[in-house]
Amino acid sequence: MLESRIRDLLCTARDEAKKQGINAEFSFHREHSSLIRLGNSAIALSTFEDLTRLDISVFDGRKTGDYGLTADIVSLDQLRSALKKAHDNAQAALPKDYEPIFGVVEKTIDDAGGYDPALENLSPEAKGDLCAKVVKTMKPKGNYDFSGSWSSGSTEMYLTTTANSNEAYRKLTDGRLVLVLKEQDKKWELSVEQPGRAAKDFSADAAIREFEAMLPVYEKNPGFRAQLGHQRVMFGPQSISQLMALAIWSGFGGRAWEEKRAFTSENKPGDMLLSDLVTIGDDPTNANVYRMPFDYKGIARKAFPIVEKGVFKALMYDSATAAKYGKKPTGHDVGSGDFVFAPGSGKPGIAAGLATAGDALYIPYLHYIGLPDPARGMFTGSSRFNARQVKGGEFVAPMCSTRVTDTIPNVLSHVIAVSSKSEFFDVSATYGRRTPEAVSVPEYIICDNVRINDVADGF
Amino acid sequence: MSSSIQDIARTVKAEFARMTGSGCSFADARLYDEDSSEYLMLYDGNLEANTARLERGIGVRVLKAGAWGFAATANLAAIPQCFDRALANSVAAAKLLGFPRDMGKGKASKGSYHSPVKDDPFEVPLADKLDFLKRADAALVAPHVAHRITQANFQRRKVFYWNTEGTEVDRWQLNTFGMLMVMAPDKEGRNQRRSHELCGDGCGTRGFEWLADPKCFGANAESIKNELAQLLAAENLPPKRRDVILLPGMGFLQVHETIGHALELDRILGYELSFAGGSHVRPEMIGKLKYGSKKLNARAGIVENSPGTFGFDDEGTPQRDYLLIDKGILVNVLSSRTDLGEANAKAGRTVVTDSGTAARSCAFYRPPIDRMTNINIDPGNDGTLEDIVKATKDGVIVDVPVSWSIGSNREHFHFGCEIAWEVIDGKRTKIFKNATYHGHTLEFWGALDKVGSKETWCLRQVPNCGKGEPNQIMELGHGIPVMRFANVETGEKE
Repeated sequence: MLESRIRDLLCTARDEAKKQGINAEFSFHREHSSLIRLGNSAIALSTFEDLTRLDISVFDGRKTGDYGLTADIVSLDQLRSALKKAHDNAQAALPKDYEPIFGVVEKTIDDAGGYDPALENLSPEAKGDLCAKVVKTMKPKGNYDFSGSWSSGSTEMYLTTTANSNEAYRKLTDGRLVLVLKEQDKKWELSVEQPGRAAKDFSADAAIREFEAMLPVYEKNPGFRAQLGHQRVMFGPQSISQLMALAIWSGFGGRAWEEKRAFTSENKPGDMLLSDLVTIGDDPTNANVYRMPFDYKGIARKAFPIVEKGVFKALMYDSATAAKYGKKPTGHDVGSGDFVFAPGSGKPGIAAGLATAGDALYIPYLHYIGLPDPARGMFTGSSRFNARQVKGGEFVAPMCSTRVTDTIPNVLSHVIAVSSKSEFFDVSATYGRRTPEAVSVPEYIICDNVRINDVADGF
Repeated sequence: MSSSIQDIARTVKAEFARMTGSGCSFADARLYDEDSSEYLMLYDGNLEANTARLERGIGVRVLKAGAWGFAATANLAAIPQCFDRALANSVAAAKLLGFPRDMGKGKASKGSYHSPVKDDPFEVPLADKLDFLKRADAALVAPHVAHRITQANFQRRKVFYWNTEGTEVDRWQLNTFGMLMVMAPDKEGRNQRRSHELCGDGCGTRGFEWLADPKCFGANAESIKNELAQLLAAENLPPKRRDVILLPGMGFLQVHETIGHALELDRILGYELSFAGGSHVRPEMIGKLKYGSKKLNARAGIVENSPGTFGFDDEGTPQRDYLLIDKGILVNVLSSRTDLGEANAKAGRTVVTDSGTAARSCAFYRPPIDRMTNINIDPGNDGTLEDIVKATKDGVIVDVPVSWSIGSNREHFHFGCEIAWEVIDGKRTKIFKNATYHGHTLEFWGALDKVGSKETWCLRQVPNCGKGEPNQIMELGHGIPVMRFANVETGEKE
């Protein structure tokens, strides 16, 4: 549970608010973050941030107001002042035309199962040593430069409201190592990623093995320019996570659906929308994700099917959308989900995927996705790291940067194979507060009829 | 300077002495004494965001043996420990050293910057701001409008900067952003939208009075409602090659993504490869690369009223105004002090001499990186929008991005737009929806054949430029005229 000094302050502030008849939600966030950035085979930057944040929301009937602080929490007076500001904001607010949902922590949760002190305290020296091993092993073998980043740290989240005395607390560690090898003359870029919950999850040897497995095709062959038009594509973990996120947010968010902005807006639960090889859900019990046990309204999260064997199962409602449209919130007032693309029956291993694909484009990363027409689920993005041409079930050439512009319903309706092996893939961003997020995705899916509409000369 | 700031300054300077004594060649500190923000958003008339936030803390950097270390804390009683952390990070980074980081020769700066403001939005009572937004929202109501968004956000930062060269500067920066949007399902039942963001001519003040100026904000309600009504009955833009006329509301993002980001020196040198990506530009191309047609003059400018104007960057260097692209030739890049030596070494000659004053950080807990400031296109002499339309045989005018997707080296792009007006034989014909265009950066800028005159030039604000690891969201500006590009791939072949 949260350290007693801060917890006592927060509970006292909560109880004082209750005595004054103020409905308030208190959300506390603390992070210890460190990151090294690698550039030109050297550590370009090493950072450490020790940050605490407090967010207070006050509900006054149909009026709400919020106030947040990023500052050291040192006194009750500081909390009283922040509560007053949130209360003042609520009092000055315009009333909504619906009854907003006030947060109730359903049950006390104390979850530190994902915490590894060794990862929280992983030193920049240790990170530098691992990176140095990769660089010093690989660099002499070619005209390579390395870049990358390695973020790691701990996050604590704590929630309590004046609705009751329950407290929801979570402490976990997460890390993500990204290494990029760039060939300086030919300009192609390879990437290896390692996500981790514990310090032991990171390995220089594994990274070296992955690079070495990819290099021969890149070293021996010129760049391949894919033909424009519709092609068979084998997607890898990052691109699958992108496709899944696009499907979820442009298809199965309650507000987008209610307001006819979703590609599913003309459909209803029970409709067959995608290939029967596609099953997607939000599952905080899955071993491959960071498992957020509660949302920011205090709802204890549980497995939530979204698409099952291609069939539209349910929509996700955050509390504001649920209140507005008279629905029940589904535990999706979250900074991050626990999304899972279920494994299929395809043989495990990339080699088995290639054999199934035959002739195809392998696009494991989709870079910088845009949504030109979200109501149709239309997306566009380009290949990046590790993309290769597949011919006769084998990698034969590195691919020049290739743009995919298609719709989610089309791509996910033409799935012909899904690997039976799942991967833990970290999708955390470090914008604002540390918010660990991972997805569980198959190591590959193969889709037919994917539209390629541009190819660059370079990688 | 208040007594508490003086106390912090004394502590920082004592730490500078300690760091220098520990062998550091440079150190600096940025105290965010106040970083306030307020976000207000009405969605269909409901106040869905009513949020205020305050951040306060310090970020410090030390440079030892050619390696940077950064640390930040909100605990202002722990500044010495923060320097210790930064030093330890620097020592660790020095174990895997490439091109040694070097600040070059520095000159101490002293001074203050204050954004031009009449009415500080943080001093305007919340009830008055909400009353204003409610009236702005009411103007969006129409039978054909299904959903509407009216929003404003305000930022106020008081930042003190010190470094070991004796620089002492402070910034009082204020930003005001506003947006109106209307949405409705079209005849196929799919959502269309039209929006307007607070913008201006780059002059004047940037407080609440700017948002309250009808011509910059509220008076645009009628036009976006009318254009939404036309979009609802419109067809998709038919795919083909044609000329594309970018209004400033679209051109700013084209410049942002395919000139601004591509010319950030840290991207050029490969320091962003693992996340944001690299650049098709290499150091040796500076001074030589034909980036676009002779009509293209791009600069990192100083604009009186812009979030990209800040007086002194986050290395304390006074902001300057300089050309990036001169008559189509790449002549400079966006830089800070730390990468100049490496760029020149890699180019094999001197390609950059002075900091581009582009070292910027978004918060006390983020280190400065190379960022855009005001990346502007100089006005041309091709007249008004209507003059350019008259000179167009087969083209399309596009405005306001819906989506943007850019290649990892900024070498190719795809944009979706809220609205398109077809131009045939010098006349606007009809409106199309779901307009897109795509192309390759150098070919596209090489096809720039009309640049509107000064009266078409408009300052657009960007409140949300993302870059860096740890990630940073930055505010900046783009002053853009109307621009026409010949023979561009438009629309989507199904």
